[in-house]
Amino acid sequence: MNRSLTLLTAVAAASLVLTSCSGAGAGSGNKEGSKAELTFWHGYTEADGKVLNKIVEDFNASQSEVSIKVQTNPWSVIDDTLLPALSSGNGPDIVAMPAERLPVYADKGAFVELDDLYKDPNSNLDKLVPAAADMETVNGHKYGVPSGFVPLAMFYNKDLFAKAGITTPPATWDQWIAAAKKLTVDANGDGTPEQFGLGLPDHATVANGVWPSLFYGNGGDIVKDGKAVVDSPENAETLKTWVDAIRNDKISPTGLDGIAGDKLFSSGKAAMYLGGPWMSSIAKENNINYGIAAVPAGPKDQAASAIGVSMAIIEQKDDSKAAAAQKFFSYFLQKEQATAWSLGSGWPPLRSDIPAADVAANPVVEALTKQSGFGRPLLPGVVNSTDTLTAVDKLTQRAVAGESIQDLLSETQASIQKILDAK
Amino acid sequence: MSTTVHKKPPETRRYRAPAPLGGRRNPAIGQRRKNFQALAFLLPALVVLGAFTAWPMFSALRLSFTDASGFGKEEWVGFENYTRIFTDPVIINAVVNTALYALLFTPTAVALALALALLLNDPRLPFRGFFRTALFLPFIISLAVAAIAWAYLIDPQVGLLNYWLGNAGIRIGNVLQDPVLAMPAVAFVAVWKSFGFYMVIFLAGLQEIPGTLYEAARVDGAGPWTRFRHVTMPMLSNTTAFVLIFALIAALQAFDQIYVMTGGGPYGHTETVVMQIYTSGFRKLDVGFASALSYVLLAATLLLSVIQFVFFGKREREGD
Repeated sequence: MNRSLTLLTAVAAASLVLTSCSGAGAGSGNKEGSKAELTFWHGYTEADGKVLNKIVEDFNASQSEVSIKVQTNPWSVIDDTLLPALSSGNGPDIVAMPAERLPVYADKGAFVELDDLYKDPNSNLDKLVPAAADMETVNGHKYGVPSGFVPLAMFYNKDLFAKAGITTPPATWDQWIAAAKKLTVDANGDGTPEQFGLGLPDHATVANGVWPSLFYGNGGDIVKDGKAVVDSPENAETLKTWVDAIRNDKISPTGLDGIAGDKLFSSGKAAMYLGGPWMSSIAKENNINYGIAAVPAGPKDQAASAIGVSMAIIEQKDDSKAAAAQKFFSYFLQKEQATAWSLGSGWPPLRSDIPAADVAANPVVEALTKQSGFGRPLLPGVVNSTDTLTAVDKLTQRAVAGESIQDLLSETQASIQKILDAK
Repeated sequence: MSTTVHKKPPETRRYRAPAPLGGRRNPAIGQRRKNFQALAFLLPALVVLGAFTAWPMFSALRLSFTDASGFGKEEWVGFENYTRIFTDPVIINAVVNTALYALLFTPTAVALALALALLLNDPRLPFRGFFRTALFLPFIISLAVAAIAWAYLIDPQVGLLNYWLGNAGIRIGNVLQDPVLAMPAVAFVAVWKSFGFYMVIFLAGLQEIPGTLYEAARVDGAGPWTRFRHVTMPMLSNTTAFVLIFALIAALQAFDQIYVMTGGGPYGHTETVVMQIYTSGFRKLDVGFASALSYVLLAATLLLSVIQFVFFGKREREGD
């Protein structure tokens, strides 16, 4: 029995050593020379990814101190794998993610604080579109650099507009609702239109931004300076206006989410839709003759919630990697690279000093760039954006289902305040 | 169940074969060698189980008493996470939903599996092999894939099912966004996907039942229902207990198709405990709380399984 026991322990020890060896092998990569080797995770998987990877390659070739290796995965996969990667210490050095996901990681100490980089006049960060830079502040400090910032825009079906005799896209809420009613067609009179004037999702909306955009338009908001402000007369009025239009005038199906909304517009069953830049390629694939306009102005303000993507540097023992990554950010935001990235990604330029005329080579980008100024970051600095957005989803979904708006607003106000207070 | 049926006659002195060439081995040495061989064969599995099951379970238990985020610093918080589970209305909602899901899924899946197993066990049915394979087929595809397919089928705007039913004048509306219908819909997809597996287990159980019992029952004048009630059910009680426990565990861990089809909606009506574990851990980086919730789910699953086991064990003894 003794001999077998020793054998057993030997085998167990050997397997342990083997596994730990492979673990260490993956972790330590950079020993030869002084060149910093960084890994960059991003979710730009389409043509935009090729342009971004080209910028990275150009950066690698432009100097001899830093070399960045890119790993591409869908955004949801990055979000799911980042936590295990962080806990095993084998994560990337730079990671890009939807902007509203940045605060939760930053708050837990996952990212390098970038206040000094923002103060450095050579970093190009002072040229950023101000609202885009606002996305990166958490607990009073900067933790990221935007790689994308674009307000939701209104996509409309030109053929359906022509059929209804509408020549220009609506510019105000009144015109918007009037156009939507006109574009809603229930030919067989069964109470369910075959064609809707607008695809207005009531939950899981495009980048969660549809209802915030409507709230802004009437002077309302969700969270302001760390306080819940969702229960306001402005928001009550906004909800009433749009719930009426959906429930009574049937301008949009109920129970729609962002994905179903995309399908609705791209199948020609909705004449108008609030979406991101990718809607233009989806519409084109489906042979929809589309136009792009700004989200119509509300009674108080013209504003739209922005879809944002942030890049951050993973906090690690080796400071040299953080410094190397910051060099890349400054390079990425040079005028030439920022213009190329804008044209390649189809998103407006991140620098405020690049006018729409500079990206006229891509008419979609040009159109979106003209609306850049309307963009407002979604829940900047709100650590628990997950629960906050769920609360907003519940509010809009239940309101569209016909529940009392005032009760819902006060309930949502309380639950969001509770989410903000829990630390 | 077979204890009273066959009783072996008391063994008389056993015939002992002559020693092989080279003599007989010391049985003690042989036993030790066998033990060692068994251990050696088990070792790879034990290492894998230890590294990927036992160790994470142990870690999760420790983490459940901390405010861990999965990386960086963590602080001991005692039972705070556990207190939160029983006071947070969102979690309580998820617990209620999970119970509802289990109530919808478990009996339906088991009853359907049993009914079809009985049908497919009947030798008079033609193409039995084909039907068995066809009904088992959904089990081998991924639940997430099945969920995507079903979500498309019942989509109110572009769905095929709605189109067909619409032609017949029936409107089922937006099922997945209906607070009342969403849960039955996601439970239905899980039933569709997994009853084939339970059916195969029932089929195996049915084939274990000796035909002589049915003949005897028939001679005694028992009709089909009496034969089912007094022969099939008692003889299947072990299988039924196994299938029920399996189905219940699957129900308590509901996640995939719900995540794909409703994401927990509409407004939290299909939010389950496992979805909350996922959201707490991966969305909110609250790994400590997610671990505590996992342990509460584990305890609940264990408790329910033991209750079922005892209940069916008792029935079996009484049936004898």
